[in-house]
Amino acid sequence: MGGRLDPRRIDITSSNVKFKADWEKDVFAITLALGFSSLWNLDRSRYARESLEPQDYLQFGYFEKWLAGLINLLGENGIIKDGKESGGNFKKNSFRILEAKNVKKLLHMGGPTKRDSTIEKKFNLGETVSVRSNNSNTRVEKGHTRLPDYVKGRTGKVIAYHGSHILPDANAHFLGESPEALYSVEFKSRDLWDKCEHVEDTVVVDLWESYLEKFK
Amino acid sequence: MKKDNIKQFYKEFPSNPDARVKALKSILEKRGLIDQKALDEILDTYQNKVGPLNGAKIVAKAWTNKKFKADLIDNTDQVLKNMDLNGRQGEHVVVVENTETIHNLIVCTLCSCYPWPLLGLPPSWYKSDAYRSRAVREPRAVLSDFNIKLPISKKVKVWDSTSEIRYLVLPQQPASSKELSENELVSWVTRDSMIGTGFPKPPTAE
Repeated sequence: MGGRLDPRRIDITSSNVKFKADWEKDVFAITLALGFSSLWNLDRSRYARESLEPQDYLQFGYFEKWLAGLINLLGENGIIKDGKESGGNFKKNSFRILEAKNVKKLLHMGGPTKRDSTIEKKFNLGETVSVRSNNSNTRVEKGHTRLPDYVKGRTGKVIAYHGSHILPDANAHFLGESPEALYSVEFKSRDLWDKCEHVEDTVVVDLWESYLEKFK
Repeated sequence: MKKDNIKQFYKEFPSNPDARVKALKSILEKRGLIDQKALDEILDTYQNKVGPLNGAKIVAKAWTNKKFKADLIDNTDQVLKNMDLNGRQGEHVVVVENTETIHNLIVCTLCSCYPWPLLGLPPSWYKSDAYRSRAVREPRAVLSDFNIKLPISKKVKVWDSTSEIRYLVLPQQPASSKELSENELVSWVTRDSMIGTGFPKPPTAE
């Protein structure tokens, strides 16, 4: 979405509404509950939402995307088929059902993505770096990535290092966590857009090491 | 190169979202994969327990306690953990401070990442395509939709939450509130001021 031309004003009228309808509450709660099932991970669920049929992706509201993505995840795990219960044997033994008594504890624990790593990071604070010019997933055809289109091939400066984090490009496809150094890179707006509002303005994007190259 | 296509199972469900989720729920219930009490507990958490008041308390404390503020910025995750304010979608937090010369604005252009434990669930505009598209390209035009006009002397720094790092803006304390206590200040801190689309204001003013 980032940087796509969009003429619409931001609608701030319904600023305190969290759910527009009751079905949205169900989608939200079921998605979170099944997120603890251990059948998939957060990156997989994002990938599932992104890979809906393109016209649906554009037309669906926020929670409609969540719902369709969730159904696809249940489908690929053999729990549903043809719009119904599959009747088949999925790995129910490895499915963790979220019980009410564990909700508080699990929400509080969350799912940290920072990992210990002994791999030395490549880039230093203050260093100028270039973003890869191709933002496709390098391991899986049309796979998941968190490298936004609008910074590919652009040059910015490393302003923070956050340790090693799970790489979504691998984790979304069950290729392991492949933790990598994660950096915040600051770009001048004038280096990103034809017209920029103010020469001093900047955009900071969190980028994994394999998204970046040495500046030449 | 590997392929990994997710099949479109959702197409086989009713297209109306209300009917679709009901169909899904009945399958999950029948197979015993969801527990309604757990779903209720999740909704209660995000509808009634977790909200922007958590973030506001941190901001008010940072305004009145220099040591806390330094700790908050340098050791954010540890400080939030000590205050029991860590959790899902707030596992790794970075606090960015507004100054006389920098105005910070938070967005997630890829989905709608947001620091849930500190601000609750995001408002619908935060999840809108318009906000997600425009915030990185024309932040000042976006801010004008919120009736904010920044002076030319301020640089806008937009933070796109592309990783699991969640961002919280530490807004500037209004000069007119300098004499107030930490407790009194909490109600000045608006949700939008912690996203960068608003400023703190006296509690009575709307």
